[in-house]
Amino acid sequence: MTHELRFERLIDAEREVVFDSFTDPDGQAAFYGQDQTGWIVRSECDLRVGGVWTVEFGASQAELYRHRHVFEVIDRPRRLLLTTTETRLDGSSFDTELEIVFQEQDGKTLMTMVTRGFPTAELRDEQGVGLPNAFDLLDRFVHARPEMSQAKSDDS
Amino acid sequence: MQHHNATLDRTFFALSDPTRRGILERLSGGSATIGELAARFGLTLNGVKKHVGVLEEVDLVTTAKVGRSRECQLGPAELVDVTAWIESYRQTLEGRLERFGAYVEARTDGDR
Repeated sequence: MTHELRFERLIDAEREVVFDSFTDPDGQAAFYGQDQTGWIVRSECDLRVGGVWTVEFGASQAELYRHRHVFEVIDRPRRLLLTTTETRLDGSSFDTELEIVFQEQDGKTLMTMVTRGFPTAELRDEQGVGLPNAFDLLDRFVHARPEMSQAKSDDS
Repeated sequence: MQHHNATLDRTFFALSDPTRRGILERLSGGSATIGELAARFGLTLNGVKKHVGVLEEVDLVTTAKVGRSRECQLGPAELVDVTAWIESYRQTLEGRLERFGAYVEARTDGDR
């Protein structure tokens, strides 16, 4: 079931190094970077539970996306849990939860990143509830409709 | 990430409510009348109509009068936008993780 988005990368480095890189300014700049000339990344990170990490990034000063992360869990060097508000160019925003797990694997580090939930600003204002999951529902919705299933099997 | 529009926002909004998600889940198993949905979710008929209205607006649900009741079923919503948005979001995050991994590896190579 598509309950969340999950990404993995085996990194050829020790777990402490990977964890510390993710929480230092250069590593954060790499995470939000692009090869594009003039690409801007500005990051300010207060690494403590409840602390805020803000990142502004984009192609130019006039086109900056903004991420505001709050650290919910900091378990060095194993795990980070953040809640994130992403603000788009049009000023609208949405919230996600980001969990990052660092596992030792033969001297390397398996970094797993999981993101959950796409609630809207309206939801936050109206309900003030936790992060719902649209993914599993979409998945079921897509599969419940014959023409979509048909399209899927045509692809394969 | 730049892929969004008003319908997409409304679709996500429609999906953001647990009762509306429940209604869609129920309808993915087959059509149901407003009365059946009301009984199932412990809501008034008007309450269900309101939720169904939000879902109907973005074509997640269609309704039709059958005899004396109104029957609801999954609609023809264009989820192409929603899935394209999620795909673009997925690629962005995948790219970030790859870039970060390459950065750490380049850095530790330099240290050795």
